[in-house]
Amino acid sequence: MTQAPEGRPPWDAGGSEQKKPLLSVRDLVQEFVVRQAGGTRGGVVQAVSGVSFDIMPGETLGIVGETGSGKSTLARAVLQAPRPKSGSVRFREMELTRLSGSALIAARRHMQFVWQDPFGSLDPKWQVRSIVEEPLAAHRAGDRNTRRKRVDELLDLVGLDPARYAKRHPRELSGGQAQRVAIARAVALEPSLLICDEAVSSLDVLIQAQVLNLFERLRRELGLSYLFIAHDLALVKQVSDRVGVMYLGKFCEVGPGELVYKQPLHPYTKALLDSIPSTEPGAARATATLTGEPPSPISPPSGCRFRTRCPRAQDVCASEVPQPRELGPGHLVACHFPLSQPAPAGTGPAVVPQATTQATAKAQG
Amino acid sequence: MAIPIPDATLSTAAPPPLPSLVSARQLRAQRIGRALRLWVPAGILIAMLALCFLWPLVYQLPSPTNGNIIEAQEPPFSPGHWLGTDAVGVDIFSQLVYGGRVAFEVSAATTVIGMVIGCALGVTAGYVGGWTDAVISRVLDILIAFPALVLALVIAEGLGPSEMHVIWALAVFSIPAFGRVSRGATLVVRGLPYMVAARLAGTRGWKIIARHVLPNIMPGIVTFSLLGIGIVIILEGALDFLGYGIPAPGASWGSMIANGQQVLTAQPEYVVIPSIVLLITVVALNMLGDALRERWGVQ
Amino acid sequence: MSTLQTNGTLLEVEDLRVAFAAGGREVRAVDGVSYKVDAGSTLAIIGESGSGKTVGCRAIMGLLPAGTAISGSARLRGTELIGLSDAALRKHRGSDMAMVFQDPARSLNPTMRVGAQITEAIRTHRKVSKSEAHAQAVELLRLVRIPAADRRFYEYPHQLSGGMRQRVVIAMALACRPKLLIADEATTALDVTTQAQIMELLLELQQELDMALIFISHDLGLAASYADEVVVMYAGKIVEQAPAKRLFGAGGTVKMRYTRALLDAIPHLERPAHTELPVVSGRPPDPTMLPPGCSFAPRCPSAADDCRTTAPGLIEHAQSHRWACWHPCENGGAA
Repeated sequence: MTQAPEGRPPWDAGGSEQKKPLLSVRDLVQEFVVRQAGGTRGGVVQAVSGVSFDIMPGETLGIVGETGSGKSTLARAVLQAPRPKSGSVRFREMELTRLSGSALIAARRHMQFVWQDPFGSLDPKWQVRSIVEEPLAAHRAGDRNTRRKRVDELLDLVGLDPARYAKRHPRELSGGQAQRVAIARAVALEPSLLICDEAVSSLDVLIQAQVLNLFERLRRELGLSYLFIAHDLALVKQVSDRVGVMYLGKFCEVGPGELVYKQPLHPYTKALLDSIPSTEPGAARATATLTGEPPSPISPPSGCRFRTRCPRAQDVCASEVPQPRELGPGHLVACHFPLSQPAPAGTGPAVVPQATTQATAKAQG
Repeated sequence: MAIPIPDATLSTAAPPPLPSLVSARQLRAQRIGRALRLWVPAGILIAMLALCFLWPLVYQLPSPTNGNIIEAQEPPFSPGHWLGTDAVGVDIFSQLVYGGRVAFEVSAATTVIGMVIGCALGVTAGYVGGWTDAVISRVLDILIAFPALVLALVIAEGLGPSEMHVIWALAVFSIPAFGRVSRGATLVVRGLPYMVAARLAGTRGWKIIARHVLPNIMPGIVTFSLLGIGIVIILEGALDFLGYGIPAPGASWGSMIANGQQVLTAQPEYVVIPSIVLLITVVALNMLGDALRERWGVQ
Repeated sequence: MSTLQTNGTLLEVEDLRVAFAAGGREVRAVDGVSYKVDAGSTLAIIGESGSGKTVGCRAIMGLLPAGTAISGSARLRGTELIGLSDAALRKHRGSDMAMVFQDPARSLNPTMRVGAQITEAIRTHRKVSKSEAHAQAVELLRLVRIPAADRRFYEYPHQLSGGMRQRVVIAMALACRPKLLIADEATTALDVTTQAQIMELLLELQQELDMALIFISHDLGLAASYADEVVVMYAGKIVEQAPAKRLFGAGGTVKMRYTRALLDAIPHLERPAHTELPVVSGRPPDPTMLPPGCSFAPRCPSAADDCRTTAPGLIEHAQSHRWACWHPCENGGAA
């Protein structure tokens, strides 16, 4: 398939051709040096190894992955905090990797972040009002009074009564309220993109639903785009237009949410979906279809990184890195033997026990 | 079925009279214990400060330096001498009071110098990192390596003993101590999400330090400084004891102990009384530091 | 092979109450909880934070700090556990009942090899020689499906992944073949694929060892997939209790409003993206200031006046299905 002159990656066959992407990430690489006790180098963690994607205005891209997949590192690398080792991040036509100082600050104004720990992201010594006002003050948006009024508006927007909450400190808030304050601060400067890194994972179920609805409402009212990162697959599907599945620093599969979940094409995606325990009446019981342990990101397997746990792995999977291919409308997979094809002959390095295979077949059928 | 998100108000009606499993006595004991641990040492210190600095303004005390040899070795509760007089007739109580002034002045000055300079260095090193951190840390390490007492002796030998020299000498010990503590605290705070959030919001570096870093490390610094004051008081007392601190005949707890040492077996109270006062002061400072740490949740 | 009471009651908890003093106020962590666990069965205790689910089980195991007021009864095969001395409880812990916690990194000593920690667990309860304990430890590592068990014996916890560590912790808990295993959010810190592996392992172990399992979680999906019986807790009380099939099966009926709210608030794979979730406003009550009447009333969309004044009792309204609600859901459908 051809690539547009602008360099639209193979990952982004979906979306309107006319609109320019809001965020454009190409070949992002991020690595960390592991320091052993005593300060010596112990190896390099290849947290993100060549990730490319686009986010269109108004779109929500969900990224799902397990521990070690590199999704959080990806989020921080997009923000340049810290800078990625290589690759390009174009936000609204500005190349973020080449900006620094006040230029970077000005560029970042339109991109904000919501963390997993609501209390960690709020300064415990500050009042709620000052916390939400900080971005406005830093960018000198209006005088004191205008800013105060805007703060009250923002608190209202996230469902917190300014009269009761403006003067409180974070320790007087619950988890859900603190996260709402963080969200109010994040939208203060009217950003176009909100990056949420496990933003609801530490909240109780009922509070989580409240905050998710808030995200939804802000999406509609402010036209926000989201990069939503989580490990909970159902959660990611709920909020996203498109979903990307990461494994050990690379994308396995990207596509419209419904397609990826209803017809997963990558064996890893399938394994993830099968593991989810469901409360739906009549749903197949969750089965563990993946054997073994995830390999270390310090020395990932050659070729396809998933091959050590994949029931369909063959020799070619060890020698060639699978390139993303479009196998459905906007649905891309990086796999030599995607699930749209019958299983290859012979067994791979990881043999799935007979019983589990039957369960998988039953769930699939 | 969507339900809007108002924030529900909890009913603040009085809780029902269910039988309590935790005894009221237990609850009260907890509350009282916490209050006592804070206010008893604080009260002691406030009383001592008032005594040393305010009392002499109200009531004319006998001179702490010049004694009437005729009145030497008067026992406690003599008329005009509440705690008696020492071997050369100097009033003991006055010596305690004026010696206390010296102790508090020196320790306060040293601690303030240490806090201001030390924290400035430490926070900068911790926040900026890199070469700045390496250079400042090495400087602080060099300063810490100096044994404070030896340095004070050298200064006193060279420049002559005086209160100012003592303060300088002890500052050499106090600055790196605060530097280390504030650098460590800054490193902890620097990694927290709200710092990244502040940078994302566009706040400039110096403002982040002033409004985010400092307020959050202050509780730890303050509790540390209370302990530090106690240590400095002891060091200062040691310098006076050795004769390299406040020049004689200036009153100080250390010199009281030194003078009393000579008649230790005959009149132990000349040593014991200032020692007890020193002990109470330092213990009260430590207890206050602990209680504040408990209240402010500092590690 | 199985001992007496194969199908009898293994653990019987009656009116368990736990309270402690914090910051000068009384916190009612558990407020009258009763349930039964049959030998070899699986009970799921579901609740959000502050519901008292963890505190209750720790009270049974005797793992609460001194100064906690515990009343009520918990009988393990007829032996009363509440009020036992620490020494007596230690005999029961490990041999009759064991507990596995959430974060395996914190349950394992990072400076001790993994095998040594298991042998320590074994030799605490049984007088066996070192070599015998070694052999049993390797056997336990095999039992929890750790590959190359004899080599792994010599590894340190930091060399193992999260899932492996949790298996080691389970192996330690099983050292003396307890009849009851309590898993307190044991899979919450694990990835979903590892979670499935561990849960399947626990179920297999149950079969092999004829062991009862109580698992504590906030995840209703886990309860639906793996439990026989489900207990839902809120603000220290049980609000609904039923066999899993009755709650989640086809034609499942959920009666208590809180359970319904939980079910509705979980993202479901079946829902299309961007739908608004049915939410319940507010947050869990302050345990030092529980409201009169039903604890859920301030947040319940169907609360009526009687809900706010009188607390509903946990009553068995239908066959083996208990709930505490004055106005339960109709037919298990959406409220």
